[in-house]
Amino acid sequence: MASYAYYPGCTLYTKARELDLSARKALAVLGAELEEMPAWVCCGAIYNTADDDFAGRIGATRNIVRASALGDTLVTLCAACYNVLKRAKARIDDPANAVERERVLNFIDEPYEREVRVVHYLDVLRRDIGWDAVKAKVAKPLAGLKLASYYGCLMVRPAAVLDFDDPEDPQVMDELVRALGAEPVRFDFKTECCGGYLVVNRKDVARESSARVLENARAWGADAVITTCPLCQYNLDRLRDRDGLPVLYFTQLLGLALGLEPDELGFDNCAVDPRPMLAEKGLL
Amino acid sequence: MSKPPSVSPLVRSIEALSGQVIADCYQCGCCTAGCPIGEAMDPPPSKAIRLLQLGRAGELLDSEGIWLCASCMVCGTRCPRGVDYALIAEACRAVVLRRPVRSGRVGPETVTDEDCEEIPQQAFMASFRKFSG
Repeated sequence: MASYAYYPGCTLYTKARELDLSARKALAVLGAELEEMPAWVCCGAIYNTADDDFAGRIGATRNIVRASALGDTLVTLCAACYNVLKRAKARIDDPANAVERERVLNFIDEPYEREVRVVHYLDVLRRDIGWDAVKAKVAKPLAGLKLASYYGCLMVRPAAVLDFDDPEDPQVMDELVRALGAEPVRFDFKTECCGGYLVVNRKDVARESSARVLENARAWGADAVITTCPLCQYNLDRLRDRDGLPVLYFTQLLGLALGLEPDELGFDNCAVDPRPMLAEKGLL
Repeated sequence: MSKPPSVSPLVRSIEALSGQVIADCYQCGCCTAGCPIGEAMDPPPSKAIRLLQLGRAGELLDSEGIWLCASCMVCGTRCPRGVDYALIAEACRAVVLRRPVRSGRVGPETVTDEDCEEIPQQAFMASFRKFSG
């Protein structure tokens, strides 16, 4: 069984536990496992961009250094962890930042063994496992289910650094949706911000941003929205005051299609319970 | 051709912190049009950059707009001139937050118990890192 060094991050062990659990279980069905890297620290949740803010990037860089002892690939699942770790890595790789690299690595003072590729769980699915192999393992095709793939900001921007997918019309989750037998809907707000951390002190602004995303998904006929970001899931699912569209982690539906028991997938964590909709589609 | 340096020392320090060249912006407004918070943000991205071009950095630093950026990076992604306003807003906040007087907008004392229980900690980390000194 292929094994990947895995960075779970803070939110996936608490408020987004179902993302971590469903992802691990689904990957096991696909013949791979996530092995949590030892002694990981918080990535910082957001990338600090001020040029001289070395300290703000140390936590993320420390994870890169520690992961380098394990292998050449580090898998992330939370969109924020993916964004921050990949940008921190790119920052010290850029020859223009040689001084920062030296100072930060000296401060961390742990062996930086080898180059580490920061990848997302979706990269593992599309590049290492492949859609055909995923399709071959589907036990319960999600036929008749129309899904809006919501990527948000952190999976796709800045595009030059992340190089993950098209920043305006990303496709990877849509490809997964097809592999699972469901139908990806057109969705204009795939990469429109949910309001992110503005929920902490400007809930009014975040609520408006999130509502627009849901309204657009609804307008294109989606039965549910899928995401890979705990904060997108929270903002879309919990801040709403009108639309009742279910908002799930893509891993929950991946697990369902792969034949996992619905009880194992954490559906009860959603504010808008997706199970009545899934039952209506004959999927539960 | 090399770019003319900004006249204002404050604008020069914002350029240094953000790595952006304020003179590169030609005021097309793509950033403001695409900004998901644009309606609430005052000034919106293109107007904020215009203030810097005019050497009126103080007005921008005193504004609410720089505290409404969600760092979603749509503005920089779509800018035809390669200017990233999210980085400029962060540089402006850094200038304010590094002033000797307490100037942060958020902190443990501004969060309700209910929000603390509910909102993913990812949001608190991000918010505090962007909006507190």
